This record gives sequence, C-alpha cells and structure tokens, in this order.
Amino acid sequence: MDNHAILKAGAPAVLAIALAAVLPASYASNLLNWIAIAALIAASLRMVLLFGELNFGTAAFVSIGAYTAGLLTTRFELPFLAAILAAGVMAALVSILFGYVTLRIKGPYFKLIGFAFAEVVRLCCTQIDWLGGNSGMVGIFPPAGLDAWYGTFVMTVVVLMLVGLYAVERSDFGKVLTAIRDNDAVVRTVGIDVHRAKVICFAIACFAAGIAGSLQAFANTVISPGDFGVLLSIMALAYLKVGGEESIFGPVAGAALLILLGSVALSFGAGEHVFYGAAIVLSVLIMPKGIVGMVDGLLRRPGGPAASTPAIREARGQ
Amino acid sequence: MQTALQIIATGLQIGAIYVLFSLGLTLTFGIMRIVNFAHGQFFTLSALVVAVVMPYLATAGLPLPAAFAGSAAAGVAASLLLGLVTYEWGFKRLQRDFVGSFILSLGLILLLEGLYLDVFGGAVRSVPPIIDGTVSVFGASLTSQRLLLCFVAVVLTGLLYAALAMTPVGKALRAASIDHEAAMLQGIPYQRIARHGFMIATLLAAVAGALIAPVSVVTTTLGSDYLIKGFIAVIVGGLGSIPGAIIGSLFIALVESVGGYFFDPSRASIAIFALVMVVLLVRPQGLMGHG
Repeated sequence: MDNHAILKAGAPAVLAIALAAVLPASYASNLLNWIAIAALIAASLRMVLLFGELNFGTAAFVSIGAYTAGLLTTRFELPFLAAILAAGVMAALVSILFGYVTLRIKGPYFKLIGFAFAEVVRLCCTQIDWLGGNSGMVGIFPPAGLDAWYGTFVMTVVVLMLVGLYAVERSDFGKVLTAIRDNDAVVRTVGIDVHRAKVICFAIACFAAGIAGSLQAFANTVISPGDFGVLLSIMALAYLKVGGEESIFGPVAGAALLILLGSVALSFGAGEHVFYGAAIVLSVLIMPKGIVGMVDGLLRRPGGPAASTPAIREARGQ
Repeated sequence: MQTALQIIATGLQIGAIYVLFSLGLTLTFGIMRIVNFAHGQFFTLSALVVAVVMPYLATAGLPLPAAFAGSAAAGVAASLLLGLVTYEWGFKRLQRDFVGSFILSLGLILLLEGLYLDVFGGAVRSVPPIIDGTVSVFGASLTSQRLLLCFVAVVLTGLLYAALAMTPVGKALRAASIDHEAAMLQGIPYQRIARHGFMIATLLAAVAGALIAPVSVVTTTLGSDYLIKGFIAVIVGGLGSIPGAIIGSLFIALVESVGGYFFDPSRASIAIFALVMVVLLVRPQGLMGHG
C-alpha cells in the first residue's frame, strides 16, 4: 500500500488507541471495548464477503474463540496471550475443515449451512457439561497487571488485526478474491485454485473472529451459549451494512454508530431491537452502500465519474 | 405399536403447520428468488391478533367458534396488510437480490419483533380452545383442535396445488418461477404475478398463525421457532419446490417427534441441524429441487 493509504488509515488507528489509553475505566471505556470487538467481527464478515459469500457461521467462530480462551484460562491456566492466540488458531482450524467441505457449494446454500452450523455449535455448547452447559463459564479474567490497560490492549489488537486484514485485501491474494467474486470461471481459466483461495480467505476471516471472541470473553469475564446465537451474526451484518461494505472503515463506522446509538436507545427501554432493525431496513433501502459509501459519494464532485465496481476504481487509482 | 402410532400422529400434527409455513417460503423463493426470513412475522402477527381479539369477542357474548372466526379474520387481515407494506416498500425493490433481501428480512425480524413486544407486551397469552375433547385414531389419541388444524392444512395445501396446476394465475406463477424472463416474453405481467405470489405466501402464514393460536401459547417470538424449522424443511426439500416443501416439512416433523420422544428436544434439534448440513453437502439442491 502507498504512503497515502498508510496515513489515511494510520491516523484514526493511533487516535483510537490513544482514546482507549486515556479513557478511565468506566461505562465509556466498556463501550469502546464493545465497539472495537464488534468492528473486528464485522470486518471478519466483510473479509468473507470479498469473494462474495456471506458467512452466517460467524457467530460459531466467535464462540469457538471465546470458549477456547475461556477453557484454556480457567482450566489449564495458560498465559493470557497464548490463550488469545490459541482462540484464533482454533477458530481458523475449525473453519478450514468447515470451509473445505462447504465452500465447494455455490449459490445460496453456503449462507444457509452457516446458519445451521452456528445453531449446531450453540446447541452443542449447551449440552456439553465441561463447557458449562446452559450457564456457560465464569471467571475469565485478564491478568491482574493488565486490568487497567485492558481497553488499550483490546484496541491495539483490533487495530493490528484490521491492518492485517486490510493488508491481505490489498495484496495480490486480495485481488484474486475480488476476481473470484466478479467471475470465478475466469479466475479458474488462468490456473488459480479457486477453492483453495476461498478456504484460505475463510480461515483468515475466522481467525479474526476467534480473536474477537477471546477478547470478548476477557472483556465480559463470563460467556454463555446465549451470547453466540444467530443474533450475533445478524448484528455483525447490521454493522457492516450500515457502515458500508466497500471499505475497511465501513465495519468500524457501522459498529461505532450502532453501538453508540444503541446505548442511547437502551434508555428508551426495550426498544433496542426495534432500533437495530430499523437501522438495517433503512440502510438497505436508503443507502445501499452504507455510511462510508454515502460520505464518499457526497465528497466526490457531482457529475464526476460514477462509482463503479471496485476493480474499475482500482484501475483508475482511486 | 401404540407408541409408534402416537409418535407419527404427533409428527403429522407438527408437520401440518410446517407445511403451511414452508409452502410460503418456497413460493416466494421460487418466484422472486429471495429468502424472506421475516415470513415468520406474518405468522406471529396473526396469532397475536387472534390471542388479543378472541377473548374480547368471547366476553362480548359471541359463541366461541364465532369469536374465533372473527378474530382469525382480523388476524389474517392484519398480516396481509403487513405483507403488502413490506412487499411494496421493501422486497419489491430487492427481487432477485439474494443478499440484499436476506439482510432486509433480518432487519425486519428485529424491527417487527421489537414492535410486537412494544404493542402486545411480553406476557404469554393463551387462547381458549374452540372445540374440546380428543379423537382416537387407530389407538393414537389426538385433540380435536389439532385434528381441525391438520384438516385445514391439508385442504389449503390441496387448494394451492390445484390452483397452481389449473388456474391462469397459478400457471403464470409456475412459469415465472421456472424462468421469469421467458415468462415476461410470453406476456405474463411478472411484477403483478410476483405480488400475487408474495401475498399468497403471506396468506398461508397468516392462516397458519390464526390456527396455531388456540393450540399453543402465543408469544411475540412464536414465529421464529417455526420459521427455522420451516426453513430447514424447505432446504431439505429443495428451495422453490412445492412437493419438496411438503415432504421436507413432514420429514423434519417426524425427526422432531421421534427424537423428542426417545431423547430430549434439544438433542432432536441438533440432529435436525446436523441432518440439514449432510443433505446440503450430499445434494445441495435438496431432495426434490433441480439444478
């Protein structure tokens, strides 16, 4: 990536980490944690969308990450960083198995199977006793020394992951993924193994989801199967859709806006779901490219070249 | 033998509702190539309206069957109105956009479920039974209420089948679901046909909702449980296939009743989801689907 891109992405990233560092432990810092974790989950969803699939199994991979981190910390007393890394690796391993089998299927079926997979994982968690059954796990604490700095840690990890995902997207491999979305037959004709590329991308995305899950487990210190229902995937989709799916800033903008507005909506009582639902419906109907897309459109001079497919914009150097 | 019959009878009762549900889902998919996850909300609305209006009518002095008929009409009308609004303002613009319509319907679920909770409250409601008593069929006992439900489901399915086979609208619906562009070239008004299809699907869900109100506890999340099962039935049977939806529904209902009897219900759910994954892997187009 060129210097301009680094500057464009670097400034907000440093700002976000600084904000997390100066914010004292309070409701506001919790809110910031949630935004960061939600943004990472939404970015994971977006990563899979690069090759044109919607991963409704996201909730399953987040829960695999959370449970791995929880289990390793409470049962096996593994060091904190190792537990987080293991959570990502575990999610990625499961996703390779799952993706290898399911990504061969084209059409609407991958989405549906992801939905089913998320339900299976959630139901299994409620049935397995050493995972805590219905009530889940408690006492997943970050190390005592890190307590005051946990928010900063979360933000740093999320920013690093987002930068990593962005780097993958901008790499040659990322261009292969976009090409698969646009026309996989053409990609196959130049000798690229489409299925393998999809599985690798899926594993990277699920690694991020697993990391997000472990961060969430340490942030909340408790996890239960109920936290990882299909609703989690739907929320992640809402962040992505409201923020805009064409840019890496989309998931971040969407997560920040919806979670902040959601915390305001909490004071209205039980209106949270109405609020999220309305946000999704309105953004699908009014701004199909999300906040980032809309701002982008407003900034661009009217009458200029209309935004077309990402590949064409890439070629124009925009 | 007695137990086996009872399990099958239970399975068929559950299956009757799944059939009505999945027929609507498969119809909308076939014609508009969209998956409407908010389909369950039409069902819920109709059940909720029945649960609110029926006690009101009954205390006003109407006999129970009349009160039920009145409230069911109100419930179905409310659902149809909701269906028309969501079609005209939403799904109409997102036809053949699988991801867009999917996301829209997920948003609608959250929105409508929240609104229901606001309007109807979180209390669990129950509706007085319309007809009491049980009927014994080959030694398996069924409540008359549920038998009525099965009967209506069978009649509606039969009507739909006949309508699709014989009426001009039915033929147009089938043509549009096979190839909508070729259908348009033949002079079939696709937009109008799509609306018809969507409203027929809504009607099926609304009737199912009105029928389920007296036999189950009515909550604002009632539709979601049935939706997932109905949806799985459609996947197993094949998206867009009418016979597939029927077979899939009965299959899922039987697995559920057998699994629920020998194991516990949540194990049965796991089994169903695992089964769906297997079906999707081996035969992605479903049992009766093509292409």
